[in-house]
Amino acid sequence: MNTVIEVKDLVKEYGKSRAVDRISFDVKSGEIFTLVGPNGAGKTTTVEILECLRKPTSGRVTILGYEIAKDEAKIKKRIGVVPQEFNAFERLTVLENVKLIADIYGRKGELKSYLELLDLWDVRNKKFKILSGGMKRRVGICMAAVSEPEILFLDEPTTGLDPEARRETWGVIKKLKETGKTVFLTTHYMEEAEKLSDRVAVIVKGKIVAMGAVKEMIEKHGGGYRVFTKVGGKEVEAIFKKYTDSIIKVDGGLCGKFLGKRDAAKVALDLYSRDIEAEIVEPGMEEVFLSLVGRKINERGEFE
Amino acid sequence: MRNVWIVFKTLVKDWLRSPTGVFFSFLFPVLLLLIFGTLFGGTENTRYALYIQNLDVDESGNQTNLSTAFIEAIKSTECFDIKPLDKDVNISAFVKNQQTIETLRFLVIPDGFEEKAINKTVVVRMGIIVDTLVYVINNYSQYMNASDIANITMGKEMLSAYLNQTNATSPEVLLIADEHAQSTQIIKGIIYSVSNGFNNQLTGASDIVIPKSEDLQQRRWRAADYYLPGYIAAFIMTNGIIGMTTTVTEYKRNGIVKRLSATPLSKRDWILGCILQQTFLGFALTLLMIGFSWAIFGVRAIPDLYAVSLIFIGCVLFSSIGMTLGGFVKDIEAANGIGNAIGFPLMFLSGAFWPVEVMPSYMQTIAKGSPVYYFHQGLREIMIYSEPANATISFVVLTVLAVIFTLLAIKITRWKDL
Ligand SMILES: Nc1ncnc2c1ncn2[C@@H]1O[C@H](COP(=O)(O)OP(=O)(O)OP(=O)(O)O)[C@@H](O)[C@H]1O
Ligand SMILES: [Mg+2]
Repeated sequence: MNTVIEVKDLVKEYGKSRAVDRISFDVKSGEIFTLVGPNGAGKTTTVEILECLRKPTSGRVTILGYEIAKDEAKIKKRIGVVPQEFNAFERLTVLENVKLIADIYGRKGELKSYLELLDLWDVRNKKFKILSGGMKRRVGICMAAVSEPEILFLDEPTTGLDPEARRETWGVIKKLKETGKTVFLTTHYMEEAEKLSDRVAVIVKGKIVAMGAVKEMIEKHGGGYRVFTKVGGKEVEAIFKKYTDSIIKVDGGLCGKFLGKRDAAKVALDLYSRDIEAEIVEPGMEEVFLSLVGRKINERGEFE
Repeated sequence: MRNVWIVFKTLVKDWLRSPTGVFFSFLFPVLLLLIFGTLFGGTENTRYALYIQNLDVDESGNQTNLSTAFIEAIKSTECFDIKPLDKDVNISAFVKNQQTIETLRFLVIPDGFEEKAINKTVVVRMGIIVDTLVYVINNYSQYMNASDIANITMGKEMLSAYLNQTNATSPEVLLIADEHAQSTQIIKGIIYSVSNGFNNQLTGASDIVIPKSEDLQQRRWRAADYYLPGYIAAFIMTNGIIGMTTTVTEYKRNGIVKRLSATPLSKRDWILGCILQQTFLGFALTLLMIGFSWAIFGVRAIPDLYAVSLIFIGCVLFSSIGMTLGGFVKDIEAANGIGNAIGFPLMFLSGAFWPVEVMPSYMQTIAKGSPVYYFHQGLREIMIYSEPANATISFVVLTVLAVIFTLLAIKITRWKDL
């Protein structure tokens, strides 16, 4: 697969403060690449540099082989963008807003397929203002997709949405990937990064602290599987000890850590056979982030 | 250029669907126009109140013929609402009982008006005869025989002798009015010309200089006509400076500018589209104001091609100033603040609502330096005085400024790092 985005030693300073601190990464054609990190980590700054909306302080960025400093116009023709806190013309309808972007790109022809892809066909004649938050984001994505871009940049496309709307948006993003587009995503939701991405880069305070395929990251930094019990006691502890030494007390029960899925499953079965309830918790990006950064991020994207 | 058109269409649509936008851009100015028009234009049919006290009565208490005729002559001007005042009324005492003096005016016809007027007329006529005789003797004596010349000379001597010993004085009609009131000058003028006409009638002189009058409707402009160009200029200015600034700041704040800047749309096309949209609004506003003025105040000023061109240039200028200001400010409040801070003083200083000449001189200096002044002066020259040539400076000033500010707006607006 060929590389469509190349970033090398990218730095962005606002006055004296460094928002992006020498980051480097590549994005391959057709993948979903996610920049995940807390508020103020430098996600928007990074995407907007890639979108030619901000000037980097230093570093080299090429998009589809074009350098951002030289070929802005060519790049803009071939990418689609949903800015963070995206807005369209409030008093125009969904269709009018989508058509506006199509017109600017000089795209002729029907828009129905795009609107249908994003489940917007039925609300096409509604004013943007009265749409729900989830629909608004989908309009944003539709406006970005209507120009048939090769790369889609989605800056926190699900922030502020309720879980259902968030899942709907995920569905849409997956569909876009299926049509062959490269998606560059930012989010502070670990679940989102995990469910959607092929590869993620964890960014904190302007620095990329880890990067790789989701699976590998979890294997490497997820800290293994955990098995929780509600009750403690010698008997339970003895069963855990057969497979692991890493045992801690949690809320009157116990928690054992296991490197492999197998061991975790064996312990759980063992416990069940003795009528002791057990729960296996698979590691995910949440755990990866915790083990890398040492802190968790809450629903709003702040450090807990 | 295609993109300018796309931006234009979008903005017009967005604007048309915004009730507050429509209200402030259209209804508000039209309401103001109605209010101002009524205030300034309403003096059209006013007559000046005038008390006339005729002291010239005969023994049986009847007013003399000549004084009555004089009053009739004043009445015939149709400028006055005449109220007779009894000859026994003491004017000073009468005035003391009145609330305001600005509209109090008295014309006193003195006792002996008729007699003095007749005597004076005789004297004047004799004077004319003497002058005529002198003229004849001086210029035509070579055609006459000696006895005729002697007779004429003798007649002239007799008349001169008579004139020398009579001292007929002119009757004086007295106007008592508030010297500070503006209307007093006008009234003096009217009474003066009535007196002149009356004098001519008495001496039998026929009119030498004849004032010819045309149809009032065509030549004389009503107050609303005079002010219309000012209103147009002022509201195009406020719409541009205040409206444009807040509109673009709003688009910037809610992320639309960023969304568009991420497309191949160029900054230049965006700005030209915005200016074009505002220009369109300005035109629509102008049409509306003219329509209202026409329907309600009977205004007759119809913009011709020159006026339309100047209005177009004005719209472009003030929208580009608004775009430039919008390039500086970040939030709506600041946009409103800066728009109002510049727009309103300009509006009142511009002379759009009252003649610049009534303002203190330092304010006149400021006013005459403002583009709004050039705008409405130019419009007035074209629409009211039909002298487009006199609007050349306006055309030049506005065009140059429009180009400068459009370039400035393109330079200052940020399309990156918003
Ligand atoms: N235009 C700007 N001027 C000055 N500082 C800025 C500007 N934009 C961002 N910053 C700062 O740079 C840092 C990174 O901001 P950025 O918006 O890129 O973070 P983010 O990861 O997108 O955060 P969020 O999740 O809140 O969107 C922050 O500390 C922010 O305050
Ligand atoms: Mg952000």
